Amino acid sequence: MDWPQVIFVALAVGIVFGAYRVATAQVITHAALYLAFVLSLVAGMFYMLQADFVAAVQLLVYAGGIMTVIIFAIMLSELSELKGEVPQNILQRLASPYFGLLPLLVGMLVFAVIMLAVLRVPWPVAPQAAPGDTVTLIGNGLFKTYALPFEVASVLLLGALVGAIVLTRREAGER
Amino acid sequence: MSGVPLQDFLVLAGLLFTIGLWTALRRTNPIQILMGIELMLNGVNLNLVAFARYMPAADQMRGMVFALFVLTVAAAEAAVGLAIIIMVVRRRGVVDVNKVNLLRG
Repeated sequence: MDWPQVIFVALAVGIVFGAYRVATAQVITHAALYLAFVLSLVAGMFYMLQADFVAAVQLLVYAGGIMTVIIFAIMLSELSELKGEVPQNILQRLASPYFGLLPLLVGMLVFAVIMLAVLRVPWPVAPQAAPGDTVTLIGNGLFKTYALPFEVASVLLLGALVGAIVLTRREAGER
Repeated sequence: MSGVPLQDFLVLAGLLFTIGLWTALRRTNPIQILMGIELMLNGVNLNLVAFARYMPAADQMRGMVFALFVLTVAAAEAAVGLAIIIMVVRRRGVVDVNKVNLLRG
């Protein structure tokens, strides 16, 4: 094994473990911290794929912005019940769509379909030559080839910003 | 960056997507469902960037730009989704999605 493989395996193990803990952590703040861990490791994976600009944006927007918003939401909503009700009866619990086997079965089914598609195709083994300066490349792409989607995305962000402010604003009469 | 085949990235991205789906399905707290959706989007982004890396150098920009657009939409979705969750909790006082089942406010 050479170094890229070692780094890949280390990052992959961290990502899968962190994602598993996001799914199973009992305390919601722990799940949020594991989510931040996973997002940072995915940024490392982007860096390994020579997409350094995307890695930087991932760290800024996801690990910085979205994690802050999630933690704010956890604090603002004053969550009293963290887990929801777990059915006590073991039979009811297995049959329950929320805590039983159904989510796991659906997940495994989707994973099997994805693997079926992935393993049947002979994918390229070696990456192509790196383009070098990715920032210039992405800048040219965003402002020339994809100028219209870029503008639409900015309008979408403006709409989301105004929508979030209007939704969470307290009215004059409210406590 | 010589030894890792594209297939390994695809398997990892599929696993990340599936764990995100599992999280979104088994949780009843809307914030944790949103975390599962973020995991799924990250799996898709990993897929896109990995595919781009194995294309000719002139085409590698497309995957990265696509990933950036997915990131943008994810940020907008998280902001509006969490605002809705906060409003629901403030109005109704519950966080369990099984108990928020009225169409009228």
